[in-house]
Amino acid sequence: MERWSTRMRGGPALAAGAVAAAAIVAMVAAKGLNAVAQTGLVGLSTGSVYALGAIGLTLVYGILKLVNFAHGDFLTFGAYTAFLVNVTWGLPLVLGIAFAMVATAALGVLFERAMWAPMRARRAGVLQLLLMTIGLAFIIRAVVQWFWSTDVRTLDVNSTATVRFLGLHVGRTELIVIAVGFAVLIAVGLLLRYTLLGKRMRALADDIDLAETAGIDTARVILYTWVLAGALAGLAGVLAGAVTELTPELGFDLLLPIFAAVILGGIGDAYGALAGGIVLGLATEWSTLFIDARWKIGVGFVALIVALIIRPQGIFGRARAV
Amino acid sequence: MVLAVSLSFLSSGDFWTDVALTAGIYALVALGIQLNVGFTGITNFGAAGFMAIGAYTMAILELKAGFVWWLAALCAIAAAIMFGLLVGLPSLRLRADYLAIATLAMAEVVRIIAQNARGLTGGNQGLFCSSSGATCYDDWWVHASDKINGWLTDLGWANPPGLMPLVIVCWIAVLATTLILHYVQGSPWGRVLRAIREDEDAARALGKNTFSFKLQSLVVAAVIGAVAGGFLALDLATIHPDDYQPLVTFYAYGVLILGGLASYWGVLVGAGILWAILEATLYLDLPDPPFTDVRIAALRFAILGVAFILIMAFRPEGIFGKREEMVLGE
Amino acid sequence: MNDGGANGCIFRAEGVVKRFAGIRAVDGATCDVEEGSITALIGPNGAGKTTFFNVITGFYPPDSGIAEFAGRQILGRPPHSIARLGMVRTFQITKALARMPLLDNMMLAAPDQPGERLANVVLRPGLVRRREREVRERALELLGIFGLRDLSDAYAGTLSGGQRKLLEFARALMARPRLLLLDEPLAGVNPTLAREILDYMRRLRHDLGITFLFIEHDMEAVMNHSDRVIVMAEGRVIAAGEPHAVRRDPAVIDAYLGAGSAEGAGGEGSA
Repeated sequence: MERWSTRMRGGPALAAGAVAAAAIVAMVAAKGLNAVAQTGLVGLSTGSVYALGAIGLTLVYGILKLVNFAHGDFLTFGAYTAFLVNVTWGLPLVLGIAFAMVATAALGVLFERAMWAPMRARRAGVLQLLLMTIGLAFIIRAVVQWFWSTDVRTLDVNSTATVRFLGLHVGRTELIVIAVGFAVLIAVGLLLRYTLLGKRMRALADDIDLAETAGIDTARVILYTWVLAGALAGLAGVLAGAVTELTPELGFDLLLPIFAAVILGGIGDAYGALAGGIVLGLATEWSTLFIDARWKIGVGFVALIVALIIRPQGIFGRARAV
Repeated sequence: MVLAVSLSFLSSGDFWTDVALTAGIYALVALGIQLNVGFTGITNFGAAGFMAIGAYTMAILELKAGFVWWLAALCAIAAAIMFGLLVGLPSLRLRADYLAIATLAMAEVVRIIAQNARGLTGGNQGLFCSSSGATCYDDWWVHASDKINGWLTDLGWANPPGLMPLVIVCWIAVLATTLILHYVQGSPWGRVLRAIREDEDAARALGKNTFSFKLQSLVVAAVIGAVAGGFLALDLATIHPDDYQPLVTFYAYGVLILGGLASYWGVLVGAGILWAILEATLYLDLPDPPFTDVRIAALRFAILGVAFILIMAFRPEGIFGKREEMVLGE
Repeated sequence: MNDGGANGCIFRAEGVVKRFAGIRAVDGATCDVEEGSITALIGPNGAGKTTFFNVITGFYPPDSGIAEFAGRQILGRPPHSIARLGMVRTFQITKALARMPLLDNMMLAAPDQPGERLANVVLRPGLVRRREREVRERALELLGIFGLRDLSDAYAGTLSGGQRKLLEFARALMARPRLLLLDEPLAGVNPTLAREILDYMRRLRHDLGITFLFIEHDMEAVMNHSDRVIVMAEGRVIAAGEPHAVRRDPAVIDAYLGAGSAEGAGGEGSA
């Protein structure tokens, strides 16, 4: 029998937390604290990329009422615009990040104005919109591939420097990714919770029709949501590119794990997406303690499938039509 | 800037053979997806996975277990049925976009396994011949192909392109599948599927076990996809994970929406048009600066992406779809 | 077990409960429906009538309770299995299969179609064809009774609201119901058509012995055309019996006045 459950931040979240704690204890017992902590740090870096991508995706879901397949390519776009600034123009990476965020935000707004708003006005169906997001994904990838080809590129970061602390080795870049990622995540978390705009964004993501009847100026909030989603996606792309490398498939390859994070956290729920992303990142990296590293991309996919089967409304989510 | 481009490829037999073959393979896959999307309302994005299951199962059984080709083929079909059930059972109750993601993810899992289970599938080396090179996946086909070539020359065709037999067999499969699907579509079984597309609850309230029907629709598409995968393997003369990426499924959707949702014959036309355009990008002697191979690949993505957007925005019913059907549905 | 034979109870519900997010939409509904009767289910807006329908026809999973149809336990069964047993429902907002012709809408509903099994379509085409012919004849017949025969090839999406109500009714009849559950069959329908529908109900009850349980807000229809009335309020059944007795029941009057909802035709919104 299908289950319609109520909003339960309490119940399943606590249960999940308990399971996670038990799992961590078991891992430490099996592989040693050092290994767990080491891979855990990598997991946090992967997780912040997932989380940044997932928050944007889940917020946008409320507007489109549909999962945006082009979101992955927003990450790609962000990574490559940062490349343009950082490598081609030789400017510091910080500027590259800023530029990427602005450019991707602009991209999001552009498509909202040019495509999504008109299609919403025409009451386009789910399949139509879905295919349009896929089309958009391909166009972005085509543009990236046209200008930068499929040659593997890297950002101007020091990929070998490591930092030692607490007896652990961490790649300096990974540490920066964690620092930047978490700083932004915290900032976004605060924005969403304590500012009026943030609350409205969450209301829209949750139920756009309800928000409209409540009198929220949805047109403006929609715009700001795309700005935020685009900026976060751009940042996620840069961070992902910084720890690995840039290819035109960068974003699309991250799309399914990001979906998984969104669904684990409950679609439309920004905090859930954040938590889901971190958890998934940790799980993906910790899996390498037990299985060969080449299978670790499968973790995201399996998590996605399991989440859709067992609890499509996510760990924190409330009942909604799935 | 003047782009001097030669259209001489249009008279090249190779060009049209390539178009015909690729269009045939994609038409076959898309026919199955049409059954799912256009007639049952299931957004199945797992086509690449079904194709991979078909090709890999047959090859593995032939090359590693020494099965005779037709037995391996039957087992590949059985594997497709099982995989279709595996995919469908958990995901068919999900709504459209979730179902799309779930099926896409499952197809990706197949590809990842193909990429990493090196002992079984050859990993990124691909699979085609046994390690000793003694037997190859297409040994059986080479004989048949030669025979067909013989018949063609007997019929007066002096020098048929090497892939012609495959084109012929593939299109026979396409036509047979189209006729069968057309026939089955008009049956009470097909009627239930269409009802599910319109309003699943209405169908349930009238006593139809809609989940079972959706599963059947998916399994049929899985079998068709597996057969298409077999043809693709013969076409490329290799079975490699990179040939079963989500891109393949998206190309099949391109064929679908071009021809029009809910039209089987439209699929055939859509496949021909789309692949004529896409293959033209390879055959047009586009000048190298700026058109490198990589850029031509990018151009193909762009064509697909633009096609998706323009068709969905301005003519969602495709070439052969009926406008009133688009208007009446949602 | 009692099969609900002549003037027995064809349907029985006891203590049915359905909760949504902490609210008990149906809070222990208990009632029974006599075979061969035309029974109305009424109550102010929000009383839980449609939710009750949805639970007993399998569209919502129940939280607890018992429901029996023709002697069999049906609570918790999937909708298609309940419909197959002969308990067929229609929907408040009609579900015409828009992009299919009326004839297809009707033929879909017929039970026992060997052509619905793929194996038969491929291996036993003659059998499939024969049954299709029968089904088509019956469908056209029913369409004729409801005055829709000329439109049999038209897409159902082109029908007017009233015509859709008739189609929904006719289609439900194709499914050979013993008990037909109609959710607001008269809503949004002009008075002439409404009277026709009520007439059909009586004729079908007389000719085919079909039992009707219908949700309605139109009191005139309820009082003058039903044998029995069940009243729900706040998720519970608060009265059941002869129409005029129920109308005078203080609990019923209270429920309607208390809920502030006016009696009248054309109910919309949740029940």
